[in-house]
Amino acid sequence: MLKSKAMKHVRVLVLREDLPQASLTLAETESFHPDPRAPEEQRLAPLVDCRYQGEYQKARSRLDKIAQVIPVPEPDLSEIRVVNLEELAEVNAWLGSAWEFCLEHQEGFRELEENARLLEEQQAVLANFAELNVDLGALRAEKRFLDLHIGVVPRENVSRLEGALGLAGHMLLKYMERDGNAHVVIVGPSEDGASELKSLLSSAGFTAIPLPHGLDDSPETIQADQRKERDRIDRERADLQEEVETCASEMHDKLVRASTVLALAEPYVTLDPAIRSAGYLASIEGWVPVEALPDLERRLETSLHNPFSLESRKPREDERPLVPTVPVRNRWLQPFAMLVKQYGIPRYGEIDPTLLFTITFVLMFGTMFGDVGHGAVLGLLAWLFRKKLGRFYIFGVLAGISSVFFGVLFGSVFGYKDLLPAVWMSPLYNPILMLQLATGWGVLFLTLACVLTIYNRLAIRAFMAAVFGAHGIVNLIFYLGLVWGAVSLAMTGVFGVIPAGLVIAALTALATYNWAHMQAPIGEKILVVLIETLETVLGYLSNTLSFLRVAAFSINHVALMIAVLTLAGMLGTVGSILMIVFGNIFVMVLEAVIVTIQVMRLQYFEGFSRYFSADGREFAPLRLRRRPRAA
Amino acid sequence: MSSTAKNAYLNTRVAVKATQLIGVEDVRQLSQMTLHELGQHFGLDQVLEQPGSARLKTRAVEQGLIEILLDDLAVLVRPMRPEERGLVLAWARKYALFNLKTLLRGKIRQLDPQEIRENLYDLPPQVRLSNEDLFRTESAVELLRCLEDGPLSLLARQAREIYEKRQEAFALEAAIDQRYYSELARRVTRLGDAKADRQMRTLIGSLVDRANILWLLRFRFAYELPPSETFYQLVPSPHLMSRQRLLDLVSLESQVQVIAALPEPLRSLLADADNLMESQRRLSQYCYGIARDVLRHGRSGVARAMAYLILREIDLQFTFTLIQSHLLHLPAPYVDLALGLSPAICAHHWHEAA
Repeated sequence: MLKSKAMKHVRVLVLREDLPQASLTLAETESFHPDPRAPEEQRLAPLVDCRYQGEYQKARSRLDKIAQVIPVPEPDLSEIRVVNLEELAEVNAWLGSAWEFCLEHQEGFRELEENARLLEEQQAVLANFAELNVDLGALRAEKRFLDLHIGVVPRENVSRLEGALGLAGHMLLKYMERDGNAHVVIVGPSEDGASELKSLLSSAGFTAIPLPHGLDDSPETIQADQRKERDRIDRERADLQEEVETCASEMHDKLVRASTVLALAEPYVTLDPAIRSAGYLASIEGWVPVEALPDLERRLETSLHNPFSLESRKPREDERPLVPTVPVRNRWLQPFAMLVKQYGIPRYGEIDPTLLFTITFVLMFGTMFGDVGHGAVLGLLAWLFRKKLGRFYIFGVLAGISSVFFGVLFGSVFGYKDLLPAVWMSPLYNPILMLQLATGWGVLFLTLACVLTIYNRLAIRAFMAAVFGAHGIVNLIFYLGLVWGAVSLAMTGVFGVIPAGLVIAALTALATYNWAHMQAPIGEKILVVLIETLETVLGYLSNTLSFLRVAAFSINHVALMIAVLTLAGMLGTVGSILMIVFGNIFVMVLEAVIVTIQVMRLQYFEGFSRYFSADGREFAPLRLRRRPRAA
Repeated sequence: MSSTAKNAYLNTRVAVKATQLIGVEDVRQLSQMTLHELGQHFGLDQVLEQPGSARLKTRAVEQGLIEILLDDLAVLVRPMRPEERGLVLAWARKYALFNLKTLLRGKIRQLDPQEIRENLYDLPPQVRLSNEDLFRTESAVELLRCLEDGPLSLLARQAREIYEKRQEAFALEAAIDQRYYSELARRVTRLGDAKADRQMRTLIGSLVDRANILWLLRFRFAYELPPSETFYQLVPSPHLMSRQRLLDLVSLESQVQVIAALPEPLRSLLADADNLMESQRRLSQYCYGIARDVLRHGRSGVARAMAYLILREIDLQFTFTLIQSHLLHLPAPYVDLALGLSPAICAHHWHEAA
């Protein structure tokens, strides 16, 4: 679990006609990570005929767009078979017509929305004109000498349109603004320039608001007409929705087929960059976990009718950065693996920090937030909301359990000390001891981080870096010497000769190494070596002290709860209950967030930055897509 | 970092970067270099040495030069305030609009997707459109609908409405250009009234002025649009070409009258320009003159950074022209014309010039 799975580089040589079947078989195994590097053989070249890829890309894009309008069913992968170009082209053509249908309906919905918007604008216009003593009916009628337009125009176009209309002999009056649009009346002589005005209004995005017939009717009649119009739009919208749903159910079978065909065609397209060919022969290269190799070979033997060749070899030293790392699969470690992934992917051969991260995270969280009540609530909430939280609920449950465990040790239940006798003691009873333990924990954590750094460097055969590099063997000797000396100084009042010798020897070795490996003028060399040596001393010192926060937060929790309970004791019964309830909620939310951040900080900066290069590649095997892409 | 410290930091960065700008004399020197020397000089030798057609190389060089400019931009916008950064990024968004126009033209003419893709610039996230989503669309209207969900919603909505009503690619592209300059003018107007902000206004205003004069001459006298429609396509500038001046100019009946009515120094600048290309060349020189002035004497780090980017862009355009002329084996007089080293002449006189 600490070490990534061993991988092998694989090259499969097949006849070109077998390529689609080979891609499908590789996808079925879910253990083949394509390697798109150009092969060493000059004669192998990328595939030239890209019609398959082109048809697939178009069809996939259409299906994804359709999925935004109507639900696309899951592919039926009960039968795994090769999809040929003709079938793919046929599906693409059908998806084209299906997308046109969706587009038409989308436009239909937009048109109805536009009509609804215009109706609202019309109501606003009539409400605005209601107080004026104007015969609105007269505005509708064609005028012999007057050209009149009532409508809306985007607010930012009003000023330019006003100027342009002035040049065309018309006037613009803005009487209202709504939702980024300006309501305007445009008036001018009607004898000429109609086409100029039309073109201008079209450029300015002017939309005329049709004034309803019968404007000399009573307001009630007009409102009733408008209600009818709104009902008509709603009805049409419902009809259109029903039509879409009916068509979607009629198209269901064809959509399943399209979805299936695309799922079956996808591996071949995805694999394309890793395929090279020469004549009738094609080569596919990739990375496969060693344990999955026999199964992969067996499946290829079963599925391919023509002969093929499978060659595998261990990754070369120069290929290490390119080898993918298989992520942790353990269900309980999944949420922690996601947090590790936020920082980066372990390089192939490096220790996978997920397990270590999980253990230290849970321990530090519980220490800093030790309370039976709070931990139980946290764990319970995570459990209750597990569907919403997804795999992250495990994170909450484990953090809660850890809080409960340390709560039992500290004897704290919602801040009360009397409900449960402490198995060990409350952090506030002996803060000095807590700080000493936290420092000890820091020393252990940093030592472990250095050991992992050394192991990771040795694993990639970087021997000099393992000995002299940052957090390497010499650094570790210096650190342990420093700790030894500090403990000795605290207990006996003397630093000690051996620890001092270790510290001086390690620093001298580091300075010499840095001096020898630096290309710079002598003055700069002296300066850099001095500063780097000082930085090593200060760095380890400050990093160790950084762990004091573990104790500080455990004390802080007790102090905060004492404050809440003291305030509650100063209030009446109701006030006291409210204070206890809301005080606990406040402390719980505040500390859960802060403690999580602090623990993450310790993990990322004091741990990961030392031993985790985080520049690896995630194992992303070729696989069949069993669900449609999320809309 | 305080605003004074940011200004000092920006000024220092601009001062360091400005040392790599090339002047007119340098351009003459560069025009004498071979393709290999040019490649080495601009760090493009690897691109030029790769096998491929002249078209592919030209494309790769253009992409490489845009990346150089946008890398500079990414460094310079970092210490700016949000509104200043927004203005500089709005200026750089022209490259995203080039992509948008390419996509629109491709969709309107129903070109092969691969061909469209080959003509798109690869841009950094700060100025990029979501090309992949746009690329998946199957028509210009669908593309603009898709764009309506993003930060260019206003531009997209108006462009779509215009295109749906008029079905003209010209109207569509004019609307996009118009919105681009309107956005620049709007953002620069929102800056304060300090001297530094006024410098920025002059700088951006000169770009808007140049676009306005060229559009005015082209729409009014080449396309013979009526004054009202011409005015609607223009953008009131925060510098010389104000709204009232544009209203006065579009009503005039000839190009000579328009030039005579322009404010100084534009009137003297364009007095004897006998064609639109020459007017464009002189206006560009005028803009670069302002940019050089702001870069040398400006007090605002942001205005100087903007001036640097404008000048850097023209440098990179010179570079591109030089390399392209070598790749296409163009005669020297054509290259001088393209570089603006000799006065522009009408297209039918090009042959004589060559």
